[in-house]
Amino acid sequence: MPETGTPTIPVWDKFIRVFHWALVIGVSTAAVSGFLLRPTWINLHIWAGVTAAALLLARVLWGIWGSKNARFSGFVKGPHEVLTHVKELRKGKAARHLGHNPLGALMIIALLGTVFLLLLTGMAGLGGVFKTGPLGFVTDFSIGSFTLSVHYLLAIFLLVLVGLHIAGAVFEGLRTKENLVKSMVTGEKEARKGDHDVPEVSARPLWVIVIFGAFMGGLVWLWIFFSAVPSFGVPAPVPNPAYADECSACHMAYPPSLLPAKNWGSLMVALDDHFGEDASLGQAATDEITTWLFENAADSVDTKPAHVFSRTNPEAPLAITATPFWKNTHRNIPDAVFARPPIYDNGNCVACHSDAESGAFYPANISIPKETTP
Amino acid sequence: MKKKLGIATGAAMMIAAGVMANGQRDAILSGFAAEAGVSSFSVDAGRTLFLSQNTGGKEATPSCTSCHSNNPQAQGRTRVGKVIEPMAVSVNPERFTDPEKVEKWFRRNCTSVLGRECTAEEKGNFMAFMMSQ
Repeated sequence: MPETGTPTIPVWDKFIRVFHWALVIGVSTAAVSGFLLRPTWINLHIWAGVTAAALLLARVLWGIWGSKNARFSGFVKGPHEVLTHVKELRKGKAARHLGHNPLGALMIIALLGTVFLLLLTGMAGLGGVFKTGPLGFVTDFSIGSFTLSVHYLLAIFLLVLVGLHIAGAVFEGLRTKENLVKSMVTGEKEARKGDHDVPEVSARPLWVIVIFGAFMGGLVWLWIFFSAVPSFGVPAPVPNPAYADECSACHMAYPPSLLPAKNWGSLMVALDDHFGEDASLGQAATDEITTWLFENAADSVDTKPAHVFSRTNPEAPLAITATPFWKNTHRNIPDAVFARPPIYDNGNCVACHSDAESGAFYPANISIPKETTP
Repeated sequence: MKKKLGIATGAAMMIAAGVMANGQRDAILSGFAAEAGVSSFSVDAGRTLFLSQNTGGKEATPSCTSCHSNNPQAQGRTRVGKVIEPMAVSVNPERFTDPEKVEKWFRRNCTSVLGRECTAEEKGNFMAFMMSQ
């Protein structure tokens, strides 16, 4: 209740207000998990992004069939009207808009469009780089890593837009002497003479709910269906009993996709001095395992580990832990952590990467175990 | 009655497996004896070999105990954290029953620890020690 007695009128309906603050939470969560948290939080990031995208879909439907100040047809203006508004602002005589002003409308479109592009590039990155999600079956690593870079740039762009959006709200609030943040909570604005208003329309909430439900149902079904399709460039594992028996007698079963065939070849002809131990095998076993390693080596696999570990270290071309990527991603983990039980050695990937033997190394599957008694 | 018979059968099978495993170990031991030209092996010499610290082999593995631990009845651990089942026959009756495996691991591990292959006598002594544990 305004104490001055100035009458207020409803501007932002309940949907708009809930949508606005829910999107704030969704985008903030995605930004914090994406920029600040460790990669192990990737699933939270994905959920935040998907939630923001679902909100976006609801907002678009409400922009077509919602209440008068929610409708795109009411507030989205052409370049002529935007310029006129800017000119009036500079002369200091722009009238107040009850809903979005023409500049604010541009911001709404930019914000919604950027969230949509973030969804697309996120899904493509998830599919191409991490070989999961609905686009995993069709996206290769190079496209995935490119779109992930675009995703990163778009995320920075979105933060800039959010900054401008807040600045715009503060500016307009000062200019019109009204707390616009409060308006987005209560939905009310003071009724003043000379305000720009839009024609009355009747919202069709039921219609929007039905279409939203149908869309979401379909999209969730598509997501689940395509997520289940085998990922692009990730061949089904071909187990090899000789490899499992001989090689995993001493260490985890390193997936063949972690090194190129050339490096596996060098490794297999030097088993008598294998990382400081004699691990030589009979000729038959050596041949069988070599063939299997060649057939399943990194050269024919499109996963991120296969790509990043193919850049081996010329000084230690057989050691995955000597590759530039490995060293860079593990640089903050002290040697003592690797040495302690139950890890014991930095070559024991599976101690922290629970899916290491599949070759996936998905970020959410990383967990550094607490020290145990040996 | 049926249950008792089952237990008896199970026990008999276990004893039979044990007898077979002992037979396989004896066969491997006799092989080493014939090769070395000796009639018996020394448990003490086997212990000494197991516990010895060496410099001729690879740097990371100066001793059998580097991976197998000082206690043959306990689990060992490879340098990359994989568990090695105990060597002592009393707690791990499957030890030294597969001639191919026995040869493979002696060949590799003697080279890693000593820098050379073990003699048939050393292998026999080592086995005798582990069978006494």
